[in-house]
Amino acid sequence: MEVFLQQCVNAISLGGIYALLALGLAVVFSIVRLINFAHGEVMTIAGYAIWLALLSSVPVVAAIILGIIVAMLASVAMERIAFRSMRGASVTSLLITSFAVSEIVKVLFQNGISARPVPIVLPAWMSGSINMGFLTISVMSVISIIVVAVSLAALLVILTRTTLGVAMRAAAEDFPVVRLVGIKANHVVALAFAISGALAGVAAVLWVAQRGSVDPLMGAAPVLKAFIATVLGGLGSLSGAVIGGFVVGIVEVFLQGYLPESVAPYREAISLSIIIGLLVLRPDGLWPAPNVNRS
Amino acid sequence: MLSVEGLVVRYGPIEAVRGIDFTVNRGEVFALLGANGAGKSSTLAAIAGLVKPFAGRITYDGNPVSGLPPETLSRAGIGLVPEGRRIFASLTVAENLWLGGAAHGSAAERQHLQNEMEERFPILRERARQKAGLLSGGEQQMLAIARALMARPKLLLLDEPSLGLAPQMVEKVFDLIAAMRKEGFTILLVEQNVPMSLEIADRGIVLANGSVVVSGTGAALLHNSDVANAYLAA
Repeated sequence: MEVFLQQCVNAISLGGIYALLALGLAVVFSIVRLINFAHGEVMTIAGYAIWLALLSSVPVVAAIILGIIVAMLASVAMERIAFRSMRGASVTSLLITSFAVSEIVKVLFQNGISARPVPIVLPAWMSGSINMGFLTISVMSVISIIVVAVSLAALLVILTRTTLGVAMRAAAEDFPVVRLVGIKANHVVALAFAISGALAGVAAVLWVAQRGSVDPLMGAAPVLKAFIATVLGGLGSLSGAVIGGFVVGIVEVFLQGYLPESVAPYREAISLSIIIGLLVLRPDGLWPAPNVNRS
Repeated sequence: MLSVEGLVVRYGPIEAVRGIDFTVNRGEVFALLGANGAGKSSTLAAIAGLVKPFAGRITYDGNPVSGLPPETLSRAGIGLVPEGRRIFASLTVAENLWLGGAAHGSAAERQHLQNEMEERFPILRERARQKAGLLSGGEQQMLAIARALMARPKLLLLDEPSLGLAPQMVEKVFDLIAAMRKEGFTILLVEQNVPMSLEIADRGIVLANGSVVVSGTGAALLHNSDVANAYLAA
């Protein structure tokens, strides 16, 4: 029973990280119709920023905040440099542009820093566990869950109580009319990328804290899972992305925990088959947004 | 207040507006009539900045504005109530109004204006917290107009405001237009409802296939048989 509860905690913790990444993808997609495959690299950039900060003896909390800020700046810069000129282009062109950005950033890190992982040393208390009598869980899981909850709440506040946030929701539905009422398109898009970057930065912090290292390809696998999560939840739907992220995380953890040894090598295949199955039952996603143009 | 010269609007190979000229004077209601596909909506879209004209000059308040982005034109006082309302269905009525005034004035001014809109359109106050997509066609039209008014436009462009509305709502819309004219708004009205439009219009033109076929005062157009022909021939 204790193992099951531990797995639940792990599942929610991992699901939360995927949810944050998926949300970052969904926020950008809902407004600009771009699936930003360079999102993983924003995560990697945040990781390296934290590594550099810690290396320069910056205190942990400041390093984390720095990492998130750098992720936001990187995301906004990506939009300004690579995506703005492509605005209105076909979905394929946008996709290829994001792949290009992704590859460029990976190569920059591989050659500029190192193709091998660099270690991150976080304070000892972060790697400990909490013993609650009937259950022992890792500190990081608890921190993860709390951080994800706070992030989601913060995003909700932005989307419902700030003008640009409300404008973002409107832009997801009808961007030209948002411009008609006088709200600058560039501001809305920049905010979307900034939020996306912040979410990737937070996800990076949680990811790196659990793995203890940063490498140039670290963002690729989680972002792929996050993309699957957005499709599962309903492309363009923010709540769908969150739900999709948790589903992907839960499926992954429970398969890892409970799959018999003989079938273990097929874990990814089984997990993706389950997801395909869910999509067959619900082709528009588990929690789709109303009338979204899903090319 | 508004002067359009030689306006050409193209969508790829299709020429929707083939060089039209007209002026709208301050404080008047100007009717832009014509059958479906005549180029009326494209004309409004070009004036509001939603599409870039292929050729021609648009002058507003003495300044050239052709090709400027819609955000700039909105801040300059051009407000468009688009065809089909295009309210933000997933946002609440209150949020729709809030966004309408977002680029104009402080939060306090906006709140004041929002209260004014709710006074003027009581149905919006009633439904303030509901998702706009749940409103009826007529209510959505009121919301679309209120949203445009939140930006304090000087020139109001109305694209087929009576489309798809029940007769009582159509009357309400035209009463509203007449009231706004008294308040000093300049209104460019695109409509298919010819009789009611010409009754409140000071002047107007009729488009067919992208060109002007008739122009004149409201009264003159009302009694002009060419107007009917333009609709039937197109």
